[in-house]
Amino acid sequence: MRTPPGVSAVTFADGIAEMKSAVGEEWVFTSDPDVDTYRDFYSVLWGEEDERIASAAVAPKTVEEVQAVVRAANARGIPLYPVSTGRNLGYGGSAPVYSGSVVLDLKRMDRIIEVNEGNASCLVEPGVSYFDMYRHLQETGSKLWIDVPDPGWGSMVGNALDSGGGYTAAPYRGHFEAQCGIEAVMADGELFRTGMGALPGSETWQQYKMGIGPCLDGLFRQSSLGVVTKMGFWLFPQPEAYMSCSVELQRFEDIEPLVDLFNELEYGNIFNGMPSIGSPVLASGNPLIFAEIPEPEEMNRRVRETGLAAWRGSMVFYGPEKVIRAQWEYVQERFAHFEGVKFKENQFVKLPLRPEDMEKIQKNRFGIPSMEIFSVGSRGFGDFNPSDGHIWFSAIIPRSGKGFVKANRVMRQACAEHDVPLFMFSPAVTCWTRSFVLFAAVPVYKDKEKNRRLRESVLKVIQICAEHGWGEYRCPPAFQDAVMDAYSFNNNMLRRVNEKIKDALDPNGILSAGRYGVWPKHLRDGRHA
Amino acid sequence: MISRRDLMKWGAVVPALVGGSARAMAAVPEGLDALVVDSRHAPGVIANPGGVRVLRFDGDVTQLWFETLDPLWRKPGFVLGGITGRDALFVLETLSWDRGRRVVSRKDMPGRSGRMDGPISWVIAPVHPSVKKG
Repeated sequence: MRTPPGVSAVTFADGIAEMKSAVGEEWVFTSDPDVDTYRDFYSVLWGEEDERIASAAVAPKTVEEVQAVVRAANARGIPLYPVSTGRNLGYGGSAPVYSGSVVLDLKRMDRIIEVNEGNASCLVEPGVSYFDMYRHLQETGSKLWIDVPDPGWGSMVGNALDSGGGYTAAPYRGHFEAQCGIEAVMADGELFRTGMGALPGSETWQQYKMGIGPCLDGLFRQSSLGVVTKMGFWLFPQPEAYMSCSVELQRFEDIEPLVDLFNELEYGNIFNGMPSIGSPVLASGNPLIFAEIPEPEEMNRRVRETGLAAWRGSMVFYGPEKVIRAQWEYVQERFAHFEGVKFKENQFVKLPLRPEDMEKIQKNRFGIPSMEIFSVGSRGFGDFNPSDGHIWFSAIIPRSGKGFVKANRVMRQACAEHDVPLFMFSPAVTCWTRSFVLFAAVPVYKDKEKNRRLRESVLKVIQICAEHGWGEYRCPPAFQDAVMDAYSFNNNMLRRVNEKIKDALDPNGILSAGRYGVWPKHLRDGRHA
Repeated sequence: MISRRDLMKWGAVVPALVGGSARAMAAVPEGLDALVVDSRHAPGVIANPGGVRVLRFDGDVTQLWFETLDPLWRKPGFVLGGITGRDALFVLETLSWDRGRRVVSRKDMPGRSGRMDGPISWVIAPVHPSVKKG
């Protein structure tokens, strides 16, 4: 049996015994083959001494069992690393940030406690996956949709806590933003509820987020402060229809007014679905990789020679048919003054979906979870083999035409200079409405030397982004210290405040040590910066 | 935990699946409750080899897992063999862990070019007490 650093074998064995008595012997895993299932299969440290490896795993079924496990750990200084279902691939999977931690695996806590049709909300435990909820909504004939990430095999709670994003309407695409009400077991085993959940007898826990006083839900996002055992979400009432449309513009210079007008139309609720921006003239054979944007003259020359548009802005409308057709008409009026503009209605779907629709639609736009992404390599989009894996590089960049072009060029050049291979690159993802996220998927290997070079290169790219004011909103454990370091305003006040909160709420430092660069006091000097 | 007896049992199953999909399916060993076949790697159809149910899919395992495997994996028992691409096995193996199952045996099969970049033949069996029969 592996032992956490700084914990004696006797103390650890005693703690494991207490955990077994709390959850049942068969739900505590200490053998190597069982614990190995919690390795991060996409780790950039795979097979190295520094790979983040768990010492054991415990899978409680109830809140009371979670409390018992946390108390057993807190009394002995045993580090815990809670995961919901551990599907956070590309950002660390279910492996702990601090090697030797006991993974607190919450996948058995899989109750859908409530779906409220009238309020369009739900309350779930962390083991509820998007597929579980989709199945429940289908079987109960619900008129509500979930918003799903891609792939959709993960936990609703886990994805939200890591700040995952999806593909439907604006209020639901940011999964942490769509939460309403959190219950968490704190490091001392006490049970805590946010918002209206703090008021006994309240019927509004999933209706009003703030409650009274400082809003503390954010304490649990990407955090090391508690074990979330329940979470509420707002769900999307199924609209009457879906329509996807696009606008094509012909000049490099159109990018700035395109983004500005898209912003105005989305923020003004003229369209409510996820927009995207592409470039037909720059599209290569691989649609997953956005090419480097050339200088204006070069791009305009290519447009003239190929007849392909410089830019394509796509948008989605959800709502009654007569309303969304009127909205699309208004969008066309607003773009009519662009020279050579072309409009296209790409797809119109009346809802609810019919069986024959399923093969024609992009499922995640309809709140349907899928794992199709794992077979994307077989569809001819490059050499994507999930058994080797990838990491995500996810930087927040300005939602403007200038920001889009600059981030594209800087990142493509930085990746080329530092030999960072890409199999997916998208500079303007809009899971969140007020910024772009630049997403890049970088292949990882089972080769130590390749991964060592990759880590060095990614650290340089993080630094380059920081120099331009772009910070990652989420990253794998190997880079969490570096990314937190980049948020350096006032001598890294963000991290220092987080450390003060950590010390107050988890003085023994047992929960998720090191997660997103926040280490407990006794490990702070050893930060993997 | 996987017992030594299990390992020997399933270690004997996998070689019988190796050697080309047609041959494999014509001689599906005893002990499997179903056989998953990835049509990308085994386009020929044998409906019911050795009386074993064949579950086909084409690269994306979503529908097969959601409609068939996940409900079965929630109950005790059910030993599943497969001849699939690595991508599909990666997804199925990861999902099987959630239901107390493990890949108890796997074997690379030669690709069309003869290199070892072809499909994988495997067996996923229940190993956790909550789903293990008997």
